[in-house]
Amino acid sequence: MMLTAQDWLAKIHMLPLKRRVRIMNVCGGHERSITMAGIRNALPKTVELIAGPGCPVCICPEEDVYQAIQLALHADVILVAFGDMLRVPVNMSKREVRSLEQAKANGADIRPVASPREAVKIAQENPLRSVVFFAAGFETTTAPVAAMLLEGVPDNLFVLLSGRRTWPAVAMLLDSDTPAFDGLIAPGHVSTVMGPEEWLFVVEKHSIPAAVSGFMPVSLLAAMYSVLRQLLEGKPFLDNCYPELVRPGGNPSAKAQIAQALNDADANWRGIGVIPASGFVLSPRFGSHDARIRFPDFDLAGRKRAGQMPHGCECASVVLGKINPNQCKIYGRSCTPKSPIGPCMVSDEGACRIWWAGGVRNNATVSTEDAQTFVVE
Amino acid sequence: MQIVEIDGFNAHCVAKGIGREVSLFMLQDESIEIGDCVMVHVGYAIQKMSELEARSAWEVYDEMLALEAKGA
Ligand code: SF4
Repeated sequence: MMLTAQDWLAKIHMLPLKRRVRIMNVCGGHERSITMAGIRNALPKTVELIAGPGCPVCICPEEDVYQAIQLALHADVILVAFGDMLRVPVNMSKREVRSLEQAKANGADIRPVASPREAVKIAQENPLRSVVFFAAGFETTTAPVAAMLLEGVPDNLFVLLSGRRTWPAVAMLLDSDTPAFDGLIAPGHVSTVMGPEEWLFVVEKHSIPAAVSGFMPVSLLAAMYSVLRQLLEGKPFLDNCYPELVRPGGNPSAKAQIAQALNDADANWRGIGVIPASGFVLSPRFGSHDARIRFPDFDLAGRKRAGQMPHGCECASVVLGKINPNQCKIYGRSCTPKSPIGPCMVSDEGACRIWWAGGVRNNATVSTEDAQTFVVE
Repeated sequence: MQIVEIDGFNAHCVAKGIGREVSLFMLQDESIEIGDCVMVHVGYAIQKMSELEARSAWEVYDEMLALEAKGA
């Protein structure tokens, strides 16, 4: 008989946890489910859930967003981007255009899309214009971009790729002196595509328990139970609590397509810096569709605060799980979803926005009373 | 989403009464049939859903321990 979320929760409460345990997730979808179901508040007080690097929009380099804005304003292109990229602010003065949304209001032809296939369609419908697809995302979103390229795209479609791998950021955290967590909830859809084995290093190199999870409370709680029991028994292994989708080796077609269309590269993470081999670039085979080759770099040497987070914004620390969203001084004060200062309050996958949507209104050292009561469907 | 029609790499899928066009391009190593359920991300099916449900390896471990205890 399959256990329910409530069963897993009861099992977690029966574990003899004596010391504080920190469990990190690295997926905006996980953080959203945890917050919306009120799982933080339902767990024993000794268990702390940390939102880690799970938001590709939040770490997309400021220079790339700036480049997209300038292309849209000055290069006579149609710029298409996933919707939550449009409101991400760059570091420009208030008098200047600071986001794709503002560029659009100033007359630039910018169109939000929900799929790479829509970018292809827009290019097909506008054969006389150049279409730039600004594609920021982790593996689950970057793999479809590779598929799109291999399936065949019109000559007038160019990709401004800001694709990132998730695991190198976790590896960087674990290689640092102060890893912020004792157990890992590994991302469900990244593992679906790339295979759960990508996370074995957490267990094998660092002896840290890990479990792949899906997005329903039942899967998240099973993964949390697994990680906690691994800790207690001193037997770390990589558990798979999302077997309906996550298979050994992942999705072989998708992985082959990534390998054919894209290359690995060292990549910049906004506010964090360059992480080795954490990014994707178009392979030379698709050079004629690479917006970085086709168009000039619009960034100005010496542009103030280029690449940084907005002034006062602690997104980089939030993304790395070093602080909770409401430990940022301006959370809920000058930074709210209505007038976001940093990308973590813009994106649906940003921890600040998720916490706000989950009802966390206090700006303080975190209190577990903030989360809602536990709801099990 | 559940597949209701397939035309090459394109599939018409429905979930909760809402229909969408989905690409099967990323599932070329899977045998896909009408009626199958797929997980869709940004318009692409990223994996076929299986019947398995959320569980942990600890369940199997505990079941084995229980069996051993019975046998002993
Ligand atoms: S609350 Fe706003 S300013 Fe602070 S870290 Fe989050 S997004 Fe950045």
